[in-house]
Amino acid sequence: MSHGSIIKVPFGPQHPALKEPENFLFEVDGEIVVDVKPRLGYNHRGIEKAFELRTYIQNIYLAERICGICSDAHTTCYTQAIEELLSVEPPPRARYIRVVIAELERIHSHALWVGIAAHEIGFDTLFMYVWRDRETVLDLFEMISGNRIHYAMNTIGGVRRDISAAMVPKIIKGLDFLEERLKYYLNVVQTEQTILKRTAGVGILKPKDAVNLCAVGPTLRASGVSNDVRADDPYAAYDEIPFNVITHSGCDILSRTLVRCEEMLESIKIIRYALDSMPEGIIRVQVPKKVPQGEVVSRIEAPRGELIHYAKSNGTTKPERYKVRSPTLANIPALCKMLLSGYVADIPIVLAGIDPCFACMDRMAFVDIKQNKKWVWTMQQLRRKYAKE
Amino acid sequence: MGLDYAAVKKEVRKRMTAETIVSLIRILVFPGAMFLFALAFFYEWVDRKFFARLQNRYGPLHTGPHGILQPLADFLKLLSKEDITPHASDRLVFALAPVFYLALPLTTLFVIPVLDPTSFIAFEGDLVFVLFAFTLIIITVFLAGWSSINRFSTIGSMRAVLQMLGYEIPMGLVAFGPAIAANSLSISRIVEWQSLHFWLILLQPLGFAIFTVCLLAELQFVPFDIPEAETEIVAGWRTEFSGRKLALLRLGKDLELVLASALIASLYLGGPQQFWLIPPIVIFLVKTTFAVMLLSLLRAVFARFRIDQMLSGMWKYLLPLATLQIILIQAGLGG
Repeated sequence: MSHGSIIKVPFGPQHPALKEPENFLFEVDGEIVVDVKPRLGYNHRGIEKAFELRTYIQNIYLAERICGICSDAHTTCYTQAIEELLSVEPPPRARYIRVVIAELERIHSHALWVGIAAHEIGFDTLFMYVWRDRETVLDLFEMISGNRIHYAMNTIGGVRRDISAAMVPKIIKGLDFLEERLKYYLNVVQTEQTILKRTAGVGILKPKDAVNLCAVGPTLRASGVSNDVRADDPYAAYDEIPFNVITHSGCDILSRTLVRCEEMLESIKIIRYALDSMPEGIIRVQVPKKVPQGEVVSRIEAPRGELIHYAKSNGTTKPERYKVRSPTLANIPALCKMLLSGYVADIPIVLAGIDPCFACMDRMAFVDIKQNKKWVWTMQQLRRKYAKE
Repeated sequence: MGLDYAAVKKEVRKRMTAETIVSLIRILVFPGAMFLFALAFFYEWVDRKFFARLQNRYGPLHTGPHGILQPLADFLKLLSKEDITPHASDRLVFALAPVFYLALPLTTLFVIPVLDPTSFIAFEGDLVFVLFAFTLIIITVFLAGWSSINRFSTIGSMRAVLQMLGYEIPMGLVAFGPAIAANSLSISRIVEWQSLHFWLILLQPLGFAIFTVCLLAELQFVPFDIPEAETEIVAGWRTEFSGRKLALLRLGKDLELVLASALIASLYLGGPQQFWLIPPIVIFLVKTTFAVMLLSLLRAVFARFRIDQMLSGMWKYLLPLATLQIILIQAGLGG
């Protein structure tokens, strides 16, 4: 039903549906989206360069601050990379504690997403309820690490704080409450008609496209592809803990919601098992400050999907090159595919559907397409350039 | 000419002053404008507070006891804020739209019985006038959005009009249910008939349900807040309004809420009746508060529809049901 005229509608960088600045240019025919052009880079923070200027110990805190929500995922990935360069194994107890923190973080991140998704489709009551119950996880974090968001648990060679025997019953109690609430929300999502109307069949991503466009995490698993770094390439203590990889084959927003809700329930099981079978012993080993020369790629399953860190060391106390590939970046091509031939009114929920975290994702490069040139500017050059203008 | 001009003048002045003052007070103070404004602020508070409690929040807390003065404080603050008119906008329409948006529900409220079973202005056919006013409100909304020349406003105002095409016909149809029962198109007569017979909610529950759903759409409450869907089109048709104009729009919306709840109360819940020793005004307030809470409850338990889903739902389900209600009344049930 073409009306002959195509209108360009910019979406962002300032828009209520986007919690962070990013720009999407939509070409709209009536109410149907016919083309999407993402423009990234509004949130560039120079994190990778900052990595090269700091020591390995300082970089733990920098890695923590790549993302506010999946802060633990980034430090796990970072410490894992450096441990591999140092050929150090973290003690067994530390590996179990890492699993507990990672899974608690998954619950907190997915609960946050369910709330935001509910808000995007105008269901503010669900938003408020989910976020109220999410407080339980944050309180548990405060008890374990002293912080609600940036837990600072990981360090190279283990973890910084222990989970004491006194904490375990409190964590179990919190998990019992969460499990009951999450089952209720799962039921709400599956039965409430207005939610189904807005999510079922919206933002379709076929399994073939999902694989071709390199989608990751819940977005990929909601297209029926069983892919999870925790199972495929186990890290921390995931090789010793039994769990299921959740998949749904609906390929739409509803499936993405169900995958996340069921993953939260699965996380609760993982934490219970980990607390139950946690070995005794030390929680960290001492490591040298200088890291021998080498290259390493480390990957883990962050709440949003597969997270990849790359480090290159040159034998000093600082890395020579550091690279972070966050899951949101991997999902952007798939996102553009989902938005095509959808309704304009569905843009916010489809955008939110990949659980975007633009701040973690943005990188910058200086490129001249005409001369096919790529270069790096130093801080001095940048300063000189902008002092002139 | 043997008329004593002085005496006539004196007599006229005496009658005029007494009557004018009484009717002026009735128009401006009670149960007129001032009372309705106070009621509007009060119902905004009831709506916000009840909605917040349903969502496990506190709602307004700080201004006045339990935050009861918060809507008034918001209004006064907005009055003092900078009033921006976009360069590209149609200035005259942009300035007039908020005034009309406020004046329309206010005027319409005069035909609804508040103090006693007969309203301030009652005439045969005032029910039609109310329905007409509802349409005019949406046309004002359209003009407001259209005149601001903003992408979001334009989409919002078009959605508002599209939405009206969905709910207006079922609403008009069921609103005539009470009129058929009472054999009159006057709201005051309908209230009077209910005081002699039954509340119409008992006789026409289906009509009551449809009417409430349509009012949700008229008020642009969830699940029909499509014209001002925050995550999609910012503030919809209201995006460009600020300062005084926004204050007027908000007050207008509150008055619309009063109008909607008063309509529910008088068409289906019997309106202001004398009950034992309790004066009708108290009964009226209780019933309208109930209606406001019903509307807040409904807006708390749904997600927002898409405009195409809303339209098809209205035409596929609500319209046939509204027709069924009228057929039932004609068949002797509920009338």
